[in-house]
Amino acid sequence: MLSMLEEVVLLAVDETGRLEPGREFGMAYALVGAVFFDLAMARKIDTDTEEIQIIDARPAGNAVWDRVLAQMRERPDLKTVRDWIEAIFGRNDDLEGEALASLIGRGILRHEKSKRLWIIDVERFPLADKQPQRQVRQRLAEAILTDTIPDTRDIMLVSIAEACGLLRCVLKEDQLEARRARIEMLCNLETISRKVAAALAGLDSSLRQAPIRLS
Amino acid sequence: MKQDVRSGWCVVEIRGRADAETADELEQMLRAAVEQHAKVAADFGGVDYISSAGLRAVLQAARAAQEHNAEFVVCQLRGSVKKVFEVSGMHHVLRIQGDPPC
Repeated sequence: MLSMLEEVVLLAVDETGRLEPGREFGMAYALVGAVFFDLAMARKIDTDTEEIQIIDARPAGNAVWDRVLAQMRERPDLKTVRDWIEAIFGRNDDLEGEALASLIGRGILRHEKSKRLWIIDVERFPLADKQPQRQVRQRLAEAILTDTIPDTRDIMLVSIAEACGLLRCVLKEDQLEARRARIEMLCNLETISRKVAAALAGLDSSLRQAPIRLS
Repeated sequence: MKQDVRSGWCVVEIRGRADAETADELEQMLRAAVEQHAKVAADFGGVDYISSAGLRAVLQAARAAQEHNAEFVVCQLRGSVKKVFEVSGMHHVLRIQGDPPC
């Protein structure tokens, strides 16, 4: 089974193998949220409305999860979900690159390098196996377009894809608009996605308030 | 946790903490109840803490109830547990009521 991080990055790959540009900082914050969801599903961490706790610090055998767990063990002073989202975001780990490497290793993506204008490196990640991405898209569409209770994993996926601005890769704008209340309801069910949204809102606000320097 | 059948309702009484340590047991108990009974009430009167893992267990049980066309009610929420359900908007996907239905 793919990790949540891998599923989100896979969702961002378009039919030409390019990565869809998500919301500016949304992608980076949301990928951190995806790792926390992975850790929660692996019963390594648990959260409540504010705090995050390590439940099982033993290595899980996934390099990303184990690194984040180790970072969390080293900083017991950080307690809240939002603190941790911002701390991991601030480390500038290449979560997207690690997920891409894993998807290539699994035979789901290929890695192609080329030159544009003979000097600019262009990287693409075309789908080697279309089925996994099709399944992820189908689960997202079903979670949003039906009124049944989705699997908790699909609730997490909707909330992360929404924070990344990737739902438009799955459904048309008018479909998303018609189901806006449903999307917001699903996103609100999970503490981690509420905190990702709050961290993003805080960042947006601080960027708006930042003075514009003219040189 | 204990289970009792009253007036056609299977009432699952949950006690203590609903968190990562107990979530699997909670989900299994509630799932088994909705697979065997047409009406199930999860009585949270004895629960004093619920984490995200606990909420997910309840959601998965509600999903199983939907698949089995069983009625599923969460009742007797109190204190901080009630607040967690409210903040998460669980009332949008679950039937939540104060007293047990029987």
